[in-house]
Amino acid sequence: MKHSFGISLILAAIASVASGQQYDLVLKGGHVIDPAGQIDRVMDVAVSGNRIARVAQDIPASQAKKAIDVKGFYITPGLVDLHAHVFGYSGSLFPDSTSLIAGTTTVVDCGGAGWRTFEEFKKTIIDTSDTRVLAFLNIVGHGMIGSKYENDVEDMDPAATAAKIKQYPEILVGIKTAHYSRPGWTALERSVEAGRLSNTPIIVDNNILTPMGRNTRQKVLEIMRPGDMHTHTYNDRHLELVDRITGKVKPWMWEARKRGVLFDLGHGSGSFMWPVAAAAMKGGFPPDTISTDLHSSSIMLPQSDMPNCISKMMHLGMTLQDAILRSTVSPAKAIKRFPELGTLGEGRVADIAVFELESGVFAFKDAWRKKNLATKRLQCIMTVRDGKVVFDQNGLGYPLWNTAGDYVVIP
Amino acid sequence: MRVLLLLLLLSPLGAQPVYDLLLKNGNVIDPANRRNGRFDIGIIGDKIVRVAQGIPAAHARRTADVSDYYVTPGLIDIHTHFDAQGASLNLHPDFHALSNGVTTAVDAGSSGWKNFENFKKEVIDRADVRLLAFVNIVGAGMYGREVEDDVGQMDPEGAARMVKKYPQIIVGIKTAHFQPPNWEAVDRAVKAAELSDSVVMVDFHPKPGREYPELILKHMRPGDIHTHFYGRLIPQLDANKKVTPWMWEARKRGVLFDVGHGSGSFWFRIAVPAIQQGFLPDTISTDIHKNSIMLPRATLINVMSKLLNIGMTLEQVIERSTVNPAKAIRRADLGTLSEGLIADIAVIEMQRGKFAFLDSGRGKLIGDRKLRAVLTVRDGRVVWDSEGLSLTEWTNAGPYSNYK
Repeated sequence: MKHSFGISLILAAIASVASGQQYDLVLKGGHVIDPAGQIDRVMDVAVSGNRIARVAQDIPASQAKKAIDVKGFYITPGLVDLHAHVFGYSGSLFPDSTSLIAGTTTVVDCGGAGWRTFEEFKKTIIDTSDTRVLAFLNIVGHGMIGSKYENDVEDMDPAATAAKIKQYPEILVGIKTAHYSRPGWTALERSVEAGRLSNTPIIVDNNILTPMGRNTRQKVLEIMRPGDMHTHTYNDRHLELVDRITGKVKPWMWEARKRGVLFDLGHGSGSFMWPVAAAAMKGGFPPDTISTDLHSSSIMLPQSDMPNCISKMMHLGMTLQDAILRSTVSPAKAIKRFPELGTLGEGRVADIAVFELESGVFAFKDAWRKKNLATKRLQCIMTVRDGKVVFDQNGLGYPLWNTAGDYVVIP
Repeated sequence: MRVLLLLLLLSPLGAQPVYDLLLKNGNVIDPANRRNGRFDIGIIGDKIVRVAQGIPAAHARRTADVSDYYVTPGLIDIHTHFDAQGASLNLHPDFHALSNGVTTAVDAGSSGWKNFENFKKEVIDRADVRLLAFVNIVGAGMYGREVEDDVGQMDPEGAARMVKKYPQIIVGIKTAHFQPPNWEAVDRAVKAAELSDSVVMVDFHPKPGREYPELILKHMRPGDIHTHFYGRLIPQLDANKKVTPWMWEARKRGVLFDVGHGSGSFWFRIAVPAIQQGFLPDTISTDIHKNSIMLPRATLINVMSKLLNIGMTLEQVIERSTVNPAKAIRRADLGTLSEGLIADIAVIEMQRGKFAFLDSGRGKLIGDRKLRAVLTVRDGRVVWDSEGLSLTEWTNAGPYSNYK
């Protein structure tokens, strides 16, 4: 039985090659933006199994089992959201129904789990999701479960954290420190130590203005290392980024960027303010990586999903091409997963997003629910994850119901 | 009393705004009150206090001009799955309900009477959307084939006790997925509903010896709900695509037919002929879960759009997703925009253009209208506002150090 199944598979493979269908899927006629491959023009993208097989002009539809016309749309690598919440945190969301519908094929959970709770995270969410779920491990062993735990220095164990990262190098990309509200740098320093022990970067959320013996200059120039990330860049509580009077970008921000410290958007429900973002963009200080801090509150009124964050940055002057770079290649590099992720390079995993750039009048809201009217909006219309179409807003890949017979599930 | 209170509030006119929120000049469709026209809706705290024409914007602290949109009661989805325990198909209730205009979602038996309280603690009590529930007649709820086929798990007294313990939350009993070819699951669910004076929602797989007509003509009671009635295995159409006589007869008896779209129960080849012959759903619902939400896009507003494009009128679609489901779960306080009731409101755009909709098997229907929830008010608060209709422009918001 097993044997004949194997033979029939081989026969099927021979048949499809003989009929010229060497690809499983081809997306035809879209405008491909693949910054890593320096592609920015109309191209076809062919997929075999779960891999990108070919990116070229005029791949005949007849060479694929399924051809989808995406003319008029943009094709990009599946987006990589460096800062999401899918476990542990009280506002965490389930990944597939919030990321795949937005063109995000990789989410990095930002500190929901610590080394004590990671196994549960893996079992309940990571292993059961279609989305590629990676994670920064919280320096707090119990993870992001409330201030009592998150301020407990005793539970910040660099060695145990690093050991867990080394145990799951394919999932764990670094360390998160967040919500530490006691004086001094202990949480940050222990995170750096865990990063040193595990040879991974850290991502930092830590308030500067309210408490207590901390300042931006020391944080970004002395404590954080090149390659470490500061999230919530366009908030004015975490970083002294722009001068409130002059609107000019502070000198230590330039210096930190020169050192290689990375600045991540991390929109969230408190960390994207139009006045700060507008001043920073005017001053030439875009975020290195665009990310959402997506959770139960930021997904509602601020609508901080990836296409919306990209649209907001475009409204402030970023080009679509640059925004895609900062949502694909740049985050993949930041978590040391490039070129494995973030590109449509041939042979890479087939994680693909298709977008429409809509024209009209659109209201974009910052984390403080203030609106800004814009004329362009990026909207996800199709997502391919691991070679499979998982989302298709316009039904582009499917036939009309009254021509399809007594179908059960159309592939 | 209410009028008096209103007069009191309105008397110092001019100086103080009276309303916390005013939805101005929307096209109001409120089937329960037979209202269909342009009205303003004034809200104080969590209540609708006035539905009238010409309420001045100056009387409100916050005004949203909704003249481009329809204003309806907050939508009610009586078939959802938002139970954190069944993790692999799970969804987050607030986002998937509120951003689609749904202010009341009824979980359809994800948890059973034995683990309902955990569901309540983990999900219901923490949700902004009003989350109600049918409890599963299976004590442990939807925990897989083995558990759900186990008649020993089905205790009508236990289920009824739980319904009576939480009458504000539990609206009835669910039976689903039961495979053995007998009536145990349905009959025990009905028994539990009789004991608790509530209704049953049935998901049914016909088998030889357990036929569908017998279900809707004998085992279910008037007021009980058959969900998934446009399903592939349900004999609602004969070989000539004609609606079968037992469907009409059961409807006459008062059995209710609910859509429950899901990833297997909505087919254009069934829904189109049924609706053309006038067999409309009593209630529109989603069976929303991780699979149904992806390719078939079974959000309530999308399921409504599908039915609209098949040929139902907008009024019919709104009626069957507001007042009808409210009546089905015996909650007359929901599903209308009456003065004095809770301010759960949906503001809906009717987009015109060319749109595609997939059914459970991914067959495609092309339509020319699509509904979209642009603003949702839950308990008097704006919780969703995609067009920023109720929000301040950032340039008018003052210095950012004052951002609140």
